Amino acid sequence: MLSAIDDATLMKVAEALGEEEAVKVIEILKNSDEITDDEIANKTGIRLNNVRKILYKLYDHSLVSLRRTRDPKTGWFIFHWKLQPDQLEGFILSQKRRVLEKLNIRLEYEKNHEFYYCYTPGCKRVPFEEAVELVFKCPTCGKPLMHYDNEKIVKVLTQKVEQLRKELGE
Amino acid sequence: MPKPNDLEQKALQIIMSAGNSGLLQSELWRKLGASSREGSRIALKLESKGLIRRERELRNGRWTYRLYPKRLPASMDSIADCPCVMCPDSPKCGPAGNVTPQNCERLTEWLFHAAESTQDILGDS
Repeated sequence: MLSAIDDATLMKVAEALGEEEAVKVIEILKNSDEITDDEIANKTGIRLNNVRKILYKLYDHSLVSLRRTRDPKTGWFIFHWKLQPDQLEGFILSQKRRVLEKLNIRLEYEKNHEFYYCYTPGCKRVPFEEAVELVFKCPTCGKPLMHYDNEKIVKVLTQKVEQLRKELGE
Repeated sequence: MPKPNDLEQKALQIIMSAGNSGLLQSELWRKLGASSREGSRIALKLESKGLIRRERELRNGRWTYRLYPKRLPASMDSIADCPCVMCPDSPKCGPAGNVTPQNCERLTEWLFHAAESTQDILGDS
């Protein structure tokens, strides 16, 4: 299959993996055919155990492939890693589907519940049923719980769900 | 001399990067550095493979084709900031888990933030 992913998207995926170091690792992988974790650590200056952690994360999502050989002297395994750019599109699609599913669940929840909030930053919003049990008093700060209008949240969620549906062609 | 397949791949990339507005067949071969004969053959081939769509268009009194990609390149933009992407709690998130999309604090925080700045959330797509 023809790959239709550009470098910018690849880097965004790396950022989504959560670490700045992942971006560096992917950068190296992108520019080499096959490379060992040791070489990546040397080139990037990232600690070897972190390099491996990132590689395993990528491997979990099939974004890299792995070949194992044995060091003839020490008998240890050497891992050779290779980027699989053709898996990237599938990865993005599956992430989108998962996010869509989660946001849909949340949207239904937001639509079907009334929320109460003490308007103190750091405190939680509680649904009506729970607020009744708490006698409309915040369990964290003790302030009275007031009605919270979640119209904006519903709107944001609806827009996002629509957008993702469109992108996924559903 | 590049193999025909390379040229096809390159052409597809160019068409995809043109996005929804598509591009004229003549622009394509100019960008590819191919002749008009090669260019239209590539376009035909990509169409028969179901990768692009061609539409007739009158341009400067001549009929030509505008090429549209059938699939846009996948992009992370719409979900890049959503906490559910690569969430560390992902395996625990679900009806039977400790975390659910209903009570997830990360998601709540993101939604609060997004609701305050409605424009930001949609990202570029």
